[in-house]
Amino acid sequence: MDFFLIEMVDTICRTASTETDADSEAVFYKLETLGYAVGQRLVERFTKDRPRFADTLDVVKFICKDFWTIMFKKQIDNLKTNHRGVYVLQDNNFRWFMRMSTDIGGADSARKASPYVWFPCGIIRGALANLGVPSVVVAETSNLPQCTFQIKIVQ
Amino acid sequence: MSSEINCIALIGKQNNPLYIKNFSNTHPDLKYHYIAHTSIDVIEERVSNGPKNLDLYIGLLYAMEDLAVYGYITNTRVKCVVVVSVTDCVIRDADMKLIFQKVHAAYVNQVCNPFYNLDSQKSLTSKAFIRAIDAIGLTKPTRTTLDI
Repeated sequence: MDFFLIEMVDTICRTASTETDADSEAVFYKLETLGYAVGQRLVERFTKDRPRFADTLDVVKFICKDFWTIMFKKQIDNLKTNHRGVYVLQDNNFRWFMRMSTDIGGADSARKASPYVWFPCGIIRGALANLGVPSVVVAETSNLPQCTFQIKIVQ
Repeated sequence: MSSEINCIALIGKQNNPLYIKNFSNTHPDLKYHYIAHTSIDVIEERVSNGPKNLDLYIGLLYAMEDLAVYGYITNTRVKCVVVVSVTDCVIRDADMKLIFQKVHAAYVNQVCNPFYNLDSQKSLTSKAFIRAIDAIGLTKPTRTTLDI
């Protein structure tokens, strides 16, 4: 699965650069949209036998626990919220990044990994959207393999 | 002595009709469109009033002169309505839950199609889905036949 993601991001980056100087923004948007569709369908399939969710916090907790376990066989390590619609999910050992590194290491590999982080963002956004929670998801990685996702609920 | 499914209706997230199938000859399609539409209101009322019942199966929504309407909502806010003709035999919850599980399974299979746009408001026209719903609707009468 890690290899699939890597190859997919590389392919999209390659095909996108042949167009006009479309920034990386267009590429990220495409990846995120792909993730969105995948997230919607995953959630449809995996919430089939669960009881209904009580509120938004319940939905986010589902994402952190069950959904993350399904996708990455582990749960989110840290969930923070400001109770005003912003949730921060921290994964200290993001499975898709575990095998990535560069010679310089540290900040450089974090920068190079940023395109790869949009697909999981899209997955989270799609999952939330299909459960009835419109949101905006951004991610940052300062230190591979650690990864932080920030969810802002649209009111 | 068996009750039959008269209609299976699927309503999307934005309360748009996804699919309505009429299995009976006694009532015109339009009647079932109306029934599905009013069911939306009943479902929303039940869902917003009772967070204590966190089940996907909502149960009997209401009954008309010869029809009983059962409802089911998924976690993704897709509502499913099944209209059954009322006869003398008792309709068990377990049977209805089974039917809704099958409909949900057919819907999930349809959603996994990458060419299906979840956010569009169009109705479902996929042949596999239509076949699955037909199979559910037409084989039901053999299950609730009570031998007394």
